[in-house]
Amino acid sequence: MGLINLSSPHHHSLSQTSRLMALVLLATLPGLAAQSYFYGYGTLINLVWASFLALGFEALILYLRGRPIMPYLTDGSALVTAFLLALALPPFSPWWLTLVAVSFSIIFAKHLYGGLGSNPFNPAMVGYALCLISFPVAMTQWAGTEMTMTFGQQWQWFWLESVTGGIDAYTSATALDIMRHTKGLTLSEVASSNPQLALGLTASMWVNIAYLLGGLVLLGFKVFTWHAPVAMLASLGFCAGLFHMGEPDLYPSASQHLLTGATMLSAFFIVTDPVSGATSRKGKLVFGIGVGILVFIIRSYGSYPDAFAFAILLMNLSAPLIDTYTKPKAYGHQSKAPRSQGRP
Amino acid sequence: MTKLWDFHGGVHPIQNKDQSNQLPINTMPLPKQLILPLSQHIGNQAKAIVAPGEYVLKGQLIASAQGFISANIHAPSSGFIDAIEERTLPHQSALTGECIVINTDGKDQWTKLHPVSNPETVSKQDLLHIIQAAGVTGMGGAGFPSVVKLQSKAKIDTLVINGAECEPYITSDDRLMREYAEQIIAGISIAQLLLDQPRCLIGIEDNKPEAIIALNEALSSHTNDKASIEVCVIPTKYPSGGEKQLLEILTGLQVPHGGIPADIGIVCQNVGTVKAIYDAVVLGQPLITRITTVTGKAAKNAGNYEVLIGTQTGDLLDFAQVDMSKTSRLVMGGPMMGFTIQDTQTPLIKSSNCLLAAEDLELAPIADHHSCIRCGLCEVACPAQLLPQQLFWFAKAEEFEKAQDHNLSDCIECGACAWVCPSQIPLVQYYRFAKGRLKDLASEAHIAELSRVRFENREQRLIDEKLAKEEKRKNRATAAAAAQAAKRAANPSEQDPIAAALARVNAKKQEQEQEPKKQVDSAPKTHEQIYKELKTAAAITRTKLNKTNKALANAVAKDHELAQGLQTTVDELTIKAADAQGKLQAYEAKLGLDPEKEKALLTDVAKANALVRKLEKALATSLDPQGVETQLVIARVSQKTSANALAKHQTNLPSTLLPEQEQ
Ligand code: SF4
Ligand code: SF4
Repeated sequence: MGLINLSSPHHHSLSQTSRLMALVLLATLPGLAAQSYFYGYGTLINLVWASFLALGFEALILYLRGRPIMPYLTDGSALVTAFLLALALPPFSPWWLTLVAVSFSIIFAKHLYGGLGSNPFNPAMVGYALCLISFPVAMTQWAGTEMTMTFGQQWQWFWLESVTGGIDAYTSATALDIMRHTKGLTLSEVASSNPQLALGLTASMWVNIAYLLGGLVLLGFKVFTWHAPVAMLASLGFCAGLFHMGEPDLYPSASQHLLTGATMLSAFFIVTDPVSGATSRKGKLVFGIGVGILVFIIRSYGSYPDAFAFAILLMNLSAPLIDTYTKPKAYGHQSKAPRSQGRP
Repeated sequence: MTKLWDFHGGVHPIQNKDQSNQLPINTMPLPKQLILPLSQHIGNQAKAIVAPGEYVLKGQLIASAQGFISANIHAPSSGFIDAIEERTLPHQSALTGECIVINTDGKDQWTKLHPVSNPETVSKQDLLHIIQAAGVTGMGGAGFPSVVKLQSKAKIDTLVINGAECEPYITSDDRLMREYAEQIIAGISIAQLLLDQPRCLIGIEDNKPEAIIALNEALSSHTNDKASIEVCVIPTKYPSGGEKQLLEILTGLQVPHGGIPADIGIVCQNVGTVKAIYDAVVLGQPLITRITTVTGKAAKNAGNYEVLIGTQTGDLLDFAQVDMSKTSRLVMGGPMMGFTIQDTQTPLIKSSNCLLAAEDLELAPIADHHSCIRCGLCEVACPAQLLPQQLFWFAKAEEFEKAQDHNLSDCIECGACAWVCPSQIPLVQYYRFAKGRLKDLASEAHIAELSRVRFENREQRLIDEKLAKEEKRKNRATAAAAAQAAKRAANPSEQDPIAAALARVNAKKQEQEQEPKKQVDSAPKTHEQIYKELKTAAAITRTKLNKTNKALANAVAKDHELAQGLQTTVDELTIKAADAQGKLQAYEAKLGLDPEKEKALLTDVAKANALVRKLEKALATSLDPQGVETQLVIARVSQKTSANALAKHQTNLPSTLLPEQEQ
């Protein structure tokens, strides 16, 4: 019987990348459900389509790069990218919009940088940002909450971008958009003149709470540490609260910031992306704080419907720098030895 | 109850301890043959003091420690020395090393022992001597000679006894504590005596309740009013038994980077080691046995065995009825830090605490590893507070300096990071590789430094010589001038005899002053000078010969009349060149220089380096790194040996070339 030579450890926790990824996918389900409930079937259709595309592109690129296909395909990272994109894109995204986003994410943002683990930017966010810049109209067509499309209508819109009665009946600006484009009115005036705002805020709130739930589950399973999401939410909440206190009529409150748009989705599913984030726990804190501040600034003064893609990409850019300055102190480097003088 | 602290990170692997801790320690029958490596410890290899064919008694010294950090080795049973030869060592690399092989005669006859029933009556010096003579080394991990720690110069206020045994599967310390609690406490008392009565904390993980009870019972009947002994029950978490981690748990202090526990007033010993100290002093027995766990699902009689040091693994496995057809991975040590062995003749040494014969599905599957997703789980688990994912990155990219910047040297190779890694990257393997490379680089730098110093010394000497020559010339000139002046003063005038006499005296004085300097000048040339001159002479004649040869060829081609003359010159020069070359070689031989050998060694090194680099590249990209690693380990060993040989060869040079008067 041949005895083999192996390096220690000979034991393993049996955790696997694919299981971690599967957990992440599962944790998005509450959010997905809430989103579908409020905005219709768009997200679901998008999700299936994006997953299909992501796996296809991943396999193709792996094949072209001469890498083993199955081990990498089954690690689940492509699916996570697909899910995140599908959830972040507007429910009324037509097929080509998702195609552009997914292909760009997988091919350029991920594999041209060397594949999983080597990509400096979060692939989903790169795809999202590209679409945001290239197709601003399609990207701001957010579903309204009063009237949702039937599955058939949604299906038709998805492929043909036409729907009986016109799309305008079903779209509305997001709550964030409404709050920013106040046209000189104060926030309370906007709220009273625009009943959509209240509705939009409620829907958005539930969606965010659902994502928060999923995120807490992941935290419980120790898929990531609390540092980045908590730092991000805290800094966003702090900035918002501060400005809201100063001028409540101009700036939405902290809770409105925390529970609208893609706040929770980003906090728990994107800011926590380990590949493109900072490494150490201190680094993650800095990273999260940076994202929170940038989100607040872009939301308040920028002209895009939501700020996450840019905030995260900017922080991805600074992650190596953060790493350099937040290297944790190793064992024995903490402090001077209390008695090292006593050494002969 | 002493306050406990926590250490960063750590993991909770499945314990699997009850496979082996149920039965009492079983003594293994005397094996036919014992193999005793001369290096079972950290430090210098011991030197064999017996010869093949010699008869030795049980407990007789057969190899003696060399230097301060080294340890004696004794015959574990009586019998004849069969051979002193290279055998496989119990080591990750499966290297071979010098071993004494004893064929036991079955009588198991002791040599005369000198027990000390009451250690308190003996001087510290004598106690230390007894422990040193008994060859006691650390029995938990690396095998550091215990006596070195016990005569710490720094003031020691805490003696930490490591009974944590945090590695899964291993239970040898557990059983030892249960069955030899009193001896352990007595051994601790001896250690306390030697260290000026520090307090003692025994750290035991809470998964060993029986051992805790046993020790506490032994303590209740123990009296020592000078120093306290306390059993500290610590939470089960791997690697709490790492020396640095245990110290942190028990005292809240961290051993400073690059330091030793004594720097913070602590000495740490394993429970097995204090038992060995007891045996050495009170029973007078040298360290020739130990308790080893045999476990794993392939072992029918899993349990703990008292074995003689030098017992072959195969013998113990047979005795424990291990079904070798069921296991393909035989681990010496625990599943987290142990190493696989392939040769069942590999002997058990003083630090061999476990043999794990696991069934194939029992341990981590051999999986292809994925890319690092930078999930950070490894960082959370690392007890050394490192960034394992970054270290991995640097090791893979061969950016060893950066790895060093990230404190690679503080990695204790505990394997916690690799254990949690969801991508199943064999991280520790990468760290070992990087550490090895760093060491190589350091030794390369060391060699470079040596040659630099050698070169600078030589330059300085040449300059000095030149200056001395210059001075001598000047002095000679002044002396000559003075002599001339004296002559002139003496000869023509004769009017002033006194002045003339004075001048003569002066001249003489100067000449006398000249004398010692002259002696320096006429001192025998240094070897190096002679060697150099010979080399130059040989080179010059060679060049001349070549030139004339060319001229001759030219002349012949043009049928010039000079050809005849040139031919004679060539003939003469050929003889001269051969003569010069011969002289040079003779001198080289005299100095022990061997340019051919150096060239051969250089090629060896280059070849080995190239192979290692090639394999390292292969390792980084291979999806089956284990296979490559084996080759790599072998290649690295040959790389090191060749580098060492070269270094030795080169460092031998300067001493033979040093001028004699400097020696
Ligand atoms: S645990 Fe493995 S995959 Fe995760 S960061 Fe560490 S090395 Fe990378
Ligand atoms: S093996 Fe080294 S890097 Fe990995 S957890 Fe242990 S100390 Fe940290």
